[in-house]
Amino acid sequence: MTAGIPLAQALANWRACAPAEPRPCGLPVAELLRGFHPDQRPGAMVPLLVGISAGQRAPAELAALLQADSLVDDIDLAGAPLLEADVLVIGGGGAGCVAALTAARAGARVLLVTKLRIGDSNTVMAEGGIQAAVGEDDSLQRHFEDTLRAGHFLADKSLVAALVSDGPAAIRWLIQEGMSFDLADEGRRMGGTLLRKKPGGASAARLLSYRDFTGLELMRALREAVLLQPGITLLDRHPALELLSDDRGRCAGAALHDLARGRTVLARAGATVLATGGSGRLHLLGFPTSNHYGATADGLVLAYRLGAPLREVDSFQFHPTGMAWPGHLEGQLVSESARSSGAMLVNGLGQRFVEELQPRDVVAAAILREIAEGRGILRDGRAGVFLDTPTLERGKPGILAGSLVTLSHLAHRAGIDPASEPFLIRPTLHYQNGGLVIDPAGRTPVPGLLAAGEVTGGLHGSNRMMGNALLELVAFGRRAGEAAILDARVERPRNVGLTHLADWRRALTVQGLPLSRKAPMIFPPYGNFNAATDRGKAA
Amino acid sequence: MTAVLTAEAVRVGPDLEAWLAVGGGGGLRRALAEPEAIIPVIEAAGLRGLGGAGFPTHRKWAAVAAQPRPAKGGKWVICNGNEDEPGTFKDRFLLSETPHQVIEGALIGALAVGASTIVLYVNPREAAAVRVLKQAAQAWAKHSLLAECAAFLGSPLRLDVVEGSGLYVGGEETAAVASVMGGFPFPSLKPPFPAEAGVNGAPTLLNNVETFAHVPHILREGAEWYRALGLGAAVGTKLYSLSGDVLRPGLHEMPMGTSLRQLVFAHGGGMLAQKAFKAVFTGGPSNTLLTAADLDVALDFDSLRERGSRLGTGAMIVVGEGTSILRKTAEYVAFFAANSCGQCPPCKIGTHQVARILERIENGAGRPGDLEALENLSKMLPGSGRCGLLDGAATVLSSSLHAFRAEYEAALARQSSGQVNLGAA
Repeated sequence: MTAGIPLAQALANWRACAPAEPRPCGLPVAELLRGFHPDQRPGAMVPLLVGISAGQRAPAELAALLQADSLVDDIDLAGAPLLEADVLVIGGGGAGCVAALTAARAGARVLLVTKLRIGDSNTVMAEGGIQAAVGEDDSLQRHFEDTLRAGHFLADKSLVAALVSDGPAAIRWLIQEGMSFDLADEGRRMGGTLLRKKPGGASAARLLSYRDFTGLELMRALREAVLLQPGITLLDRHPALELLSDDRGRCAGAALHDLARGRTVLARAGATVLATGGSGRLHLLGFPTSNHYGATADGLVLAYRLGAPLREVDSFQFHPTGMAWPGHLEGQLVSESARSSGAMLVNGLGQRFVEELQPRDVVAAAILREIAEGRGILRDGRAGVFLDTPTLERGKPGILAGSLVTLSHLAHRAGIDPASEPFLIRPTLHYQNGGLVIDPAGRTPVPGLLAAGEVTGGLHGSNRMMGNALLELVAFGRRAGEAAILDARVERPRNVGLTHLADWRRALTVQGLPLSRKAPMIFPPYGNFNAATDRGKAA
Repeated sequence: MTAVLTAEAVRVGPDLEAWLAVGGGGGLRRALAEPEAIIPVIEAAGLRGLGGAGFPTHRKWAAVAAQPRPAKGGKWVICNGNEDEPGTFKDRFLLSETPHQVIEGALIGALAVGASTIVLYVNPREAAAVRVLKQAAQAWAKHSLLAECAAFLGSPLRLDVVEGSGLYVGGEETAAVASVMGGFPFPSLKPPFPAEAGVNGAPTLLNNVETFAHVPHILREGAEWYRALGLGAAVGTKLYSLSGDVLRPGLHEMPMGTSLRQLVFAHGGGMLAQKAFKAVFTGGPSNTLLTAADLDVALDFDSLRERGSRLGTGAMIVVGEGTSILRKTAEYVAFFAANSCGQCPPCKIGTHQVARILERIENGAGRPGDLEALENLSKMLPGSGRCGLLDGAATVLSSSLHAFRAEYEAALARQSSGQVNLGAA
């Protein structure tokens, strides 16, 4: 990957050619993906040996965690303080907050626990927008078809139908919660029409946004709503160590670690909603990531141990435009709204090599192909391609300062002027397409365990459309919250403990897998904090 | 592996012809041929009550046989399959996989004591066992062997499947009698024992499913053969329900008197995750815990009694390092409290109080003095109930408190005044 065109020469090529001429791709999409998408790399995936989804494939880093032993033992629960609730929500990102709000408004006593703080999540990283078929020229059917096609027809149709049908209501709900959206007619004080953009891979303008920090604005509204909602008890800095089970295999809450006091706390609940997000911080396949610090697949690991099946955990989304340079910003996201506003991707020869608004997996594979075939640009040993912001600014003066706020901020941190110099970008690990199997109500096959958001699978097939993640967390957060309160009202769990761990350890032993490896990871190892050994220490 | 009750050949399900084809019916035919020999053979074999009490079977049978036959209704046999205690899963296996050896044993019992009604009393929550047993009983009703038994007894012989209440306390023998009579399974004071006045006041023979299952084999193969199956002074085989922190939990049929070490490490595949062995809850789980010092003890009635514990139902719930004795004890005492029938105030209130104190210690809300309160209760309560439920709860409490007091103290220390627990995991 070190072969490439030096920066100075590439800039000269870019200036000489601007605006760049498109070069035909020359490869059918299927072949492009097979040859250059990271998921498809030979040896990238290993089969799972234990658990209900044994035989499925997953990246080696994830498989190691999925097939590890627990951080806690039965004896750690003796004497641990007990918290009781109707509904336990694990995860304080978008999906968790929506589920908690929904359940609390339906009358449940809700315990919302987060590993870091409320809002510390990938939701706030979402820049582009949220999809919902609200335009006159659009329909639920088109949204449904676009989503299935982008996911290579691997998605669960009933889940996708639920997602797109909830779209317009989800937007109305968000507006009622106080979220702002970009309007087509910005000057008006009251009313107005939502501004719609066309997301990559869509057949209609369907992307609703707020500047280029839609997720942050969404999370702001949710966070305020949660903090004001009676019936929700919020526990920050309480990562989940293990799910609790009763003697019939029902999920009965979770064992949490109180970081401030350095001790285990039990949260018992009639229903548990997992909204723990994805796994980007495992740096799967060695890629940098756009993900939040907390995205360590904790929810997948815990639910899998309790017997919840997985799907498409061999499929990850690599966002085409992650920062490739400078090093300290590697993997950080350059918003897709740059491309949906018209910014081009240019290789070291000054050529446009891909139609920028194709689905993310195609664009990412095309970029990786340019780099692999020596047409990338080298800067301080890092390879990438250009995101042509100067040409965009020339075509639409003022766009950088006006609507691409996050992008301009990022350029400032990188020490470049986006109006005169293009970004050097490279695909970054962005989203976990698969996850826990759920039904349209958000229930996993394990009684009492529900899930919403990125931790679930089935909505995106093997590739997610931009804007569907924010819609998913609202639509399925609400569905899971509604289902959770119903589940919490059926029979109470009995003999609550870690019954499932004995069977899990038997399975590991029979397969000859080490019991010395512990999971979930909880914190990625950057900070030299080891969750297994430092658990007794106050953070 | 000495499989008699669980041998592949006898696992025929409800198919009576298949049972007769593998030697079934032989015991019953011998019983019909020499009815006066039944009780002496059982006595010579040394068969004991395998439901937990270990009472010599022949004495029970002789006691019922000695009673005069009531003019109306005749004597009764109850085959007790109420099994509901934590960690015990042998009867459901016998009833659903090999029901005919159980029924044949009960028929032989009926011949020995002169009973005219046999009740197969089962836990309704074991749906598979109930279904198979009903099919099996129907197959017998149509078969000529049953008619031969009736002819011998000189009266019709009824074979009924009765679903019990599904309550743990219904397994106690007087409670089983009450349940068969259609009432709530309240245990009653003994004497009178069911052998004198059981169902409707008639003499009633009551044995566990596993006890009856051995009978046809003993009559067919002889007392000597049966005695030789056991190790040391013990006789026959025993179904051990092995569970907890072992690699291979499950039902293991082994010679009576097999050592705990053999059961856990040879047959159970050793401790799960190579954790250190800590203790075993036996039987109900209502007995004194076995600890590492008891690993070489023979698992039979007398050896365990010498150790101050009991074999009980043969359930062995193994606890390894990493599993909390406190939490297990709290779970079992809560089970007993929930299953107290409520007749005897010391049991109703006592089990509830113990469960409440254990629960608060377990949940980080224990108080100073709780351990002393538990100790006092465990001394005060035993002997004040009609049945053994209260005694069982007190025994498991006092023995776990005695052997693992440090765990209780650690749980109390962990929670005191929200103190930060630095270092220790």
